[in-house]
Amino acid sequence: MKLDAKIPAGPIEKKWDSHKFNLKLVNPNNRRKFDVLVVGSGLAGASAAASLGELGFNVKVFTLHDSPRRAHSIAAQGGINAAKNYPNDGDSVWRLFHDTIKGGDYRAREANVYRLAQISNQIIDHCAAIGVPFGREYGGLLSTRSFGGAQVSRTFYSRGQTGQQLLLGAYSAMMRQVAAGTVTILPRREMADVVVKDGYARGITARNLLTGELESHAGHAVLLCTGGYANTFYLSTNAGSCNVSAAWAAYKRGAGFANPCYTQIHPTCIPRSGEHQSKLTLMSESLRNDGRVWVPKAKGDKRPPNDIPEAERDYYLERRYPAFGNLVPRDIASRAAKTVADAGFGAGATGQAVYLDFRDAIKRKGAGAIKAAYGNLFDMYYQITDENGYKAPMRIYPAPHYAMGGLWVDYNLMTTIPGLFALGEANFSDHGANRLGASALMQGLADGFFVAPATVGGYLGAGKFAPASPADKEFTDSAGEVRDRINRLLAVKGKKTPSELHRQLGNVMWNDVGMGRNEAGLNKALKKIPEIRGEFWKNVAVSGADKDFNQTLEKAMKIADFMEFSELLVRDALERKESCGAHFREESVTPEGEARRDDANFSHAAVWEYQGEGKAAVLHKEPLTFENIKIAERSYK
Amino acid sequence: MNDSEQFSVTVRVWRQAGPKEPGKMAAYKVSGISPDMSFLEMLDILNDDLLKKGGNPVTFESDCREGICGSCGLVVNGDVHGPDEHSTVCQLHMRRFSNGDVITVEPWRAKTFPVLKDLAVDRGALDRLITAGGFISTNTGAGPDANATPVEKDKAEEAMDAAACIGCGACVVSCPNGAAMLFTGAKISQLALLPQGGPERAKRALGMVEAMDRQGFGNCSNEYECEAVCPKDIKVANIARMNREFLLAGLISER
Amino acid sequence: MDITFIKRFISASIGRKAVMAVSGLLLGGFMLVHLAENLLLFKGEAAYNAWVDFLLSNPATPLLELGLAALFFAHIITGVWVRAEDFMNAPRGYEARKWQGGRTIGSATMLYTAAALLAYLVYHMLTFRFTDHSMGFYRMVTSAFRKPVFTAVYVAGSAALALHLSHGMQSAFQTLGLNHPKYTPLVKIGGVIVALAMVGFALISLYYLLGADLTAGTASEAIIQ
Repeated sequence: MKLDAKIPAGPIEKKWDSHKFNLKLVNPNNRRKFDVLVVGSGLAGASAAASLGELGFNVKVFTLHDSPRRAHSIAAQGGINAAKNYPNDGDSVWRLFHDTIKGGDYRAREANVYRLAQISNQIIDHCAAIGVPFGREYGGLLSTRSFGGAQVSRTFYSRGQTGQQLLLGAYSAMMRQVAAGTVTILPRREMADVVVKDGYARGITARNLLTGELESHAGHAVLLCTGGYANTFYLSTNAGSCNVSAAWAAYKRGAGFANPCYTQIHPTCIPRSGEHQSKLTLMSESLRNDGRVWVPKAKGDKRPPNDIPEAERDYYLERRYPAFGNLVPRDIASRAAKTVADAGFGAGATGQAVYLDFRDAIKRKGAGAIKAAYGNLFDMYYQITDENGYKAPMRIYPAPHYAMGGLWVDYNLMTTIPGLFALGEANFSDHGANRLGASALMQGLADGFFVAPATVGGYLGAGKFAPASPADKEFTDSAGEVRDRINRLLAVKGKKTPSELHRQLGNVMWNDVGMGRNEAGLNKALKKIPEIRGEFWKNVAVSGADKDFNQTLEKAMKIADFMEFSELLVRDALERKESCGAHFREESVTPEGEARRDDANFSHAAVWEYQGEGKAAVLHKEPLTFENIKIAERSYK
Repeated sequence: MNDSEQFSVTVRVWRQAGPKEPGKMAAYKVSGISPDMSFLEMLDILNDDLLKKGGNPVTFESDCREGICGSCGLVVNGDVHGPDEHSTVCQLHMRRFSNGDVITVEPWRAKTFPVLKDLAVDRGALDRLITAGGFISTNTGAGPDANATPVEKDKAEEAMDAAACIGCGACVVSCPNGAAMLFTGAKISQLALLPQGGPERAKRALGMVEAMDRQGFGNCSNEYECEAVCPKDIKVANIARMNREFLLAGLISER
Repeated sequence: MDITFIKRFISASIGRKAVMAVSGLLLGGFMLVHLAENLLLFKGEAAYNAWVDFLLSNPATPLLELGLAALFFAHIITGVWVRAEDFMNAPRGYEARKWQGGRTIGSATMLYTAAALLAYLVYHMLTFRFTDHSMGFYRMVTSAFRKPVFTAVYVAGSAALALHLSHGMQSAFQTLGLNHPKYTPLVKIGGVIVALAMVGFALISLYYLLGADLTAGTASEAIIQ
């Protein structure tokens, strides 16, 4: 596997423009002759489909939902960053670039991140133009807020539903192309395989979720916009259908998988209440702007929080990080919560929680102001926990939330398989080892609206394409392999439900590969995962028929992939013997117990290459060089 | 969790093997329920039980389970999205029920939403309404600077109120006439309230209303059941605005 | 001349409803005028008959009558059309359906009150319009009111009308898009007032039935003083 990032030459400010100039163009009249298959209809997929459709390419969009409007981008609450500097507070493309690299703990590619910061402004312009109802000031201009540890106010928002509004904006742009005839939506399709012919990605095998039929679709390029894999942990803030399957299928066909161990744990989620829990609900971290995080100073203090006097409370974030206090980045806040809970200071009946207290903010600003700012979050908290956050502190706990790792892509967002692109959370490109708040929406739309239309066009314009059709052997072979796997699953007829086995896997992942990782724990996980996988294939219960609307089968297929992928995640975590961003190796800490990065040995993206079933994946390294940013310790003290 | 708080209920669920098969209600006992469990988690338990006994789990749709994706939708004891006001059924919790309750669970019912299997229905007609004009025709990269077009804050907020629609279809299935007026009205309103949507107002109103009729959605009898069940509390004022947009487009505009 | 826009307008759900709403509002206005006319009964025989004579001698009256008939016709045709579609589109198969609080008695009974009103309209035309007017209009009306059967039908008709308008008035405004945060609450109250006013028809006939004063004029003068 050769890793050529294809980063354009020249000063960083000019790279994207000169690259666009050098990309080949496709004659407008010829564009409709190119079929582009877009898998996934979240921010990245919908925006890519819309833009490619506008250009005149023939686009097919596959979504596993009943409607392309339901992808999990919709659940993002807080906002989207852009370097507009509307508030005149000193922001710039350069600063957003700098903050994102630093936030990612110097593990992202400079050129990609700079481009992201450049494009951020165009995203806001375009989204406003297509009717996204951003929050506004009385003067009629756009409002911003500061978010997730940023010192400037650069986050644009639509109340607490920014992801929803941006996704619906991209969706509406895509539906416009459906009306125009350039985009075709194929709902209720799960991509089961990438079809590679003569070394090029030429199509996909998809399962029709209503009929169970396997369909072969041929095209000239395939775009995976299939999101992240946080559900490897079983419980996460992701939607139930979020999966690694598409990326995993691509990996098995030869696409490099980069940095799988970079998984973000979000600090402000509603704690789990019991075994039955099917998902964890995130509350916007904007809550930390006014809420103070604390635990009792005494171990196992089970008094109701309001009965614990001020002197017996440990505001541990304010104590450990006086400069940033409750606003430290996500990874730091999450780890600190786990540290106090593991030490026995956790709040509530389970001890797996910390308090988020609005008492002082209500005293200072009044309950009305708090309600105006966070009312929907307090309502949500009440609905789920039956507790009133205005009267007593909320209980929060970290939960897996986002995957920075993903398919390795070059500057064109193309994977190591020519013709196979990965956009949005599905790729590894822009967030390094940790993603800053309000940056996921930015990246998904940057990739889809602006980057891919240029680079996919460049790929199509430069290539000579041999014919490919669903009748080709590569397509029938792929469908046959998928069919075999499905038949194997149905033949097990075991006793444990897919969810039970997934929960078993999740427990291992959360306990040993969660927020704090060490060699012993990771090795333990490496031993346990194959056992659980073995049990899965011996004892999973999947009822019903293959050629039917069969949700159990759908679930089992996804979990089967998590069972394999999780092992790669652990191996990557084991290999990276440094702490960086969201990846915290307990062996690699400063004397004060803070994360210690090891730039001498680990300033690279770890890219894994599949070697076949039962064989260990091979690690390749893409070295990261920093020419424009001075590497520093990431301190928020 | 204290074991003594656990309870059981009987759920009566609509079972239907396929779009063309006949359906019927089937009753199941579900035990080991805790008050903190969500309603859909209770159905998960039922499904795991069914699966372990070699049966077929009940098909129902859900995804984000935080009330925003619009995938879920059930009629619980006759209440669209369950008894909680302005909430999706995934946010309903079992603390609303007691030991021994019999809970009737039915799918969305509307002529335009055929049942696919058990509690899952086809809501594709809603997407086809959006295709008929629920967008602003501006190509990527063509728009001016975002702050070149000021929008009155109150109008922007009102547009946001309308844009909050999650496309779950509760308005359609609660309507005595199976109308999609609230869904369509919300989209037309959002785009009519923003200056960016101005140039296409007449075209959009005519196109979307025509699509609504063509897809087989019903008339509005102004009874506002839709507003009462909408999980996002979208107001029927949006329907009035759509009516206005349509009348102006149909009678006044030169289109 | 291209009038396909009219066809397109009327074949759209909202266009059809708009015709129903406009005709409904105008008919509601007519009912208010009609109520005012009936109140003239209290002014005495001479005043009432003078007003009727004025109407009958006015050359515009037949035109107005024709217009009124057209309104009724438009309202009924669009109503039947819309209602038939509603019937076709109603969700079927709910076992435990509950109404969620939007529906009112008025809105749920529109079809029945409409049918009752249509039947009543026929009866009303037969008793007052297509009948022998030789005894004079005042006497014709008041003597009808004194018949218990007639008044019973008349009271039922007014009640149906009130119920119909309790939903119909605000509904018409909504259908026409005449919605405004400041005025819509007033429209809703106004609709209720108009609906309640329709009870006035019933009260007038009841007055004559229960007042039982056979000498014309006296009772009304007593009221006026």
